[in-house]
Amino acid sequence: MVNKLLKYDLKYMIKNMAIFYILSIFFALTTRILFNMEQSAIINIISQISVGCMFAMIVNTLINTIMRSWIRFRDSLYKDESYLTHTLPVTKNELYNSKFIQMLIFFFISFIIILISLFIAYYSKENWLAITNYIKTITTGLNISTLFFITMTIIIIFLEIFNAIQCGFLGIIMGNKMNNSKLGYSVFFGVIIYLIAQAIILLLVFIYGLFDSTVMELFKTATINIDVKAFKVLAIVSSLLYILIIFIMSMLCKKELNKGVNIE
Amino acid sequence: MEITFDNNIPIYIQLVEYMKIYLISGVFKCGEKLPSVRDFATDFKVNPNTMQKALAELESLKLIYTERTNGKYVTKEKKLIEKLKDEYAITLAKSYFQGMKRIGLGKADSIKYLERVNE
Amino acid sequence: MSNMKLLEIKSLNKSFDNKKVLKDINLNISSGKIIGLLGKNGAGKTTLIKLINDLLTPTSGEILINGKKIGVETKKVVSYLPERTYLNKQMKVFEVIKLFKDFYEDFDDKKAKKLLKELDLDIEQHLTKMSKGMQEKVQLALVMSRKADLYILDEPLSGVDPATRDYILDTILSNFNEKASIIISTHLISDIERILDEVIFIDKGKVVLQSSADKLRNKEKASIDEIFRRMFKW
Repeated sequence: MVNKLLKYDLKYMIKNMAIFYILSIFFALTTRILFNMEQSAIINIISQISVGCMFAMIVNTLINTIMRSWIRFRDSLYKDESYLTHTLPVTKNELYNSKFIQMLIFFFISFIIILISLFIAYYSKENWLAITNYIKTITTGLNISTLFFITMTIIIIFLEIFNAIQCGFLGIIMGNKMNNSKLGYSVFFGVIIYLIAQAIILLLVFIYGLFDSTVMELFKTATINIDVKAFKVLAIVSSLLYILIIFIMSMLCKKELNKGVNIE
Repeated sequence: MEITFDNNIPIYIQLVEYMKIYLISGVFKCGEKLPSVRDFATDFKVNPNTMQKALAELESLKLIYTERTNGKYVTKEKKLIEKLKDEYAITLAKSYFQGMKRIGLGKADSIKYLERVNE
Repeated sequence: MSNMKLLEIKSLNKSFDNKKVLKDINLNISSGKIIGLLGKNGAGKTTLIKLINDLLTPTSGEILINGKKIGVETKKVVSYLPERTYLNKQMKVFEVIKLFKDFYEDFDDKKAKKLLKELDLDIEQHLTKMSKGMQEKVQLALVMSRKADLYILDEPLSGVDPATRDYILDTILSNFNEKASIIISTHLISDIERILDEVIFIDKGKVVLQSSADKLRNKEKASIDEIFRRMFKW
């Protein structure tokens, strides 16, 4: 049943996100074309506008992926549509899993769209070299491979965003248990839960540090002089912790949902 | 067969009355097969359970009977229908004369009026 | 199997903020009946219906359908028409038909299309472009196109024109079969009482009466509507 639910969740997202994806890529293309044209005062102005529009759309894509995930979650579980959602012959766990997977998929798609837009607008040999050189200086400084650096960065960004979105889900679930100002409470609980999750991750890293002196150094020194070894360990440990927290949080969400809902 | 119901009286009793008229007037003839409960219910726009109850009542009055697998039939005994018709006619006639009596008209006058109206 | 109760409600209570909305509800409903859940606005009809449909969680008590607690298995056999529009308005009518077909094994899409045609509704149309009344008709067609054990219709007649009201009653009747029961909640009793087998009066969160409709008429020598008005001085 999750696949059927997911089908409708994804359809909803694509209907609402398509416009941002199209506009991001559209303005990336215009930016590219305008850059390649003979420069004149007027072209210059237009291309500045195009660049502005492209970045606006990229930011919109990012924000909307997150906001739409929350709105969809709230609308289909607590608003008018919930009258259908909760009367479908599916379990609360399936309802939650569908929303969670939808969030993963769409953040991934949005990420790819943003990369494509940037690539279309700015790709040139010189820019590519500049970026790779920049990354290389970091990675050689840290004494790690470029691949490792890029993968870990992306993974951590993803996990952080997933965690944040899921904290929002739990916030919505908790907020809708209240009898009034559900939206206000949802935001409030969401923020609190997010802060708690971050604090727990930090605490766990600290506990890990008790057994690993290189990581412990991070807590002791005020300088950003990260130990080469510590970066590697920290990246792996924190992503594992993120996964753990995300898992626990989704169990909590399901547990709360399974206690039953009270729709207005 | 669109009919209006009086909500003050049990619906099945009203259905029985309507069915009796249908039997007397020959809408359904002696020995004829009756439509199914469901068809009746759809036509009368009533609950099939209520229709069932009305037909059961008619059955207990022996006006219709059930053949085990084939459904329901109007009784083959013409006498029963005739008797019913007679009873109805008498009731109607009585109420006519009672009404005339109330406005001070005797038997002879009442009959005169009947003839006049019927011309 | 035959004497198993379709719907059984045992000492059900529901409170919001310590305010008791339903008080010690006990009900048994068997198959093959059309039941009127009658009460004034705010008497607790919708609350009771939402509890049966898992949209509210009981404060205490139990609800069983075919002997099972509310869950996936009971949702498979309950077809529910809420008193509000609940379909995603971004969808077209035929997409919603597909959705119902995807989730409900007992859904007959051909029948839904037939009903929608009879109601003059275009299945290619977006729900956003439909009036509230039209959306409600779509919902009714969908709900009545399932072959469920229990249909629960919350105020299906409020705010519809007489022609549609007749059509709705006809649809309900022609769909009705011995295996299923239909619960219709309404405060417009006179419109509907001729099709009812049983009535349940609900007032101030309590079930005050459950009886056969005809028995009640016979006993009180009045219409259900009038009995209700007398009882609650309405």
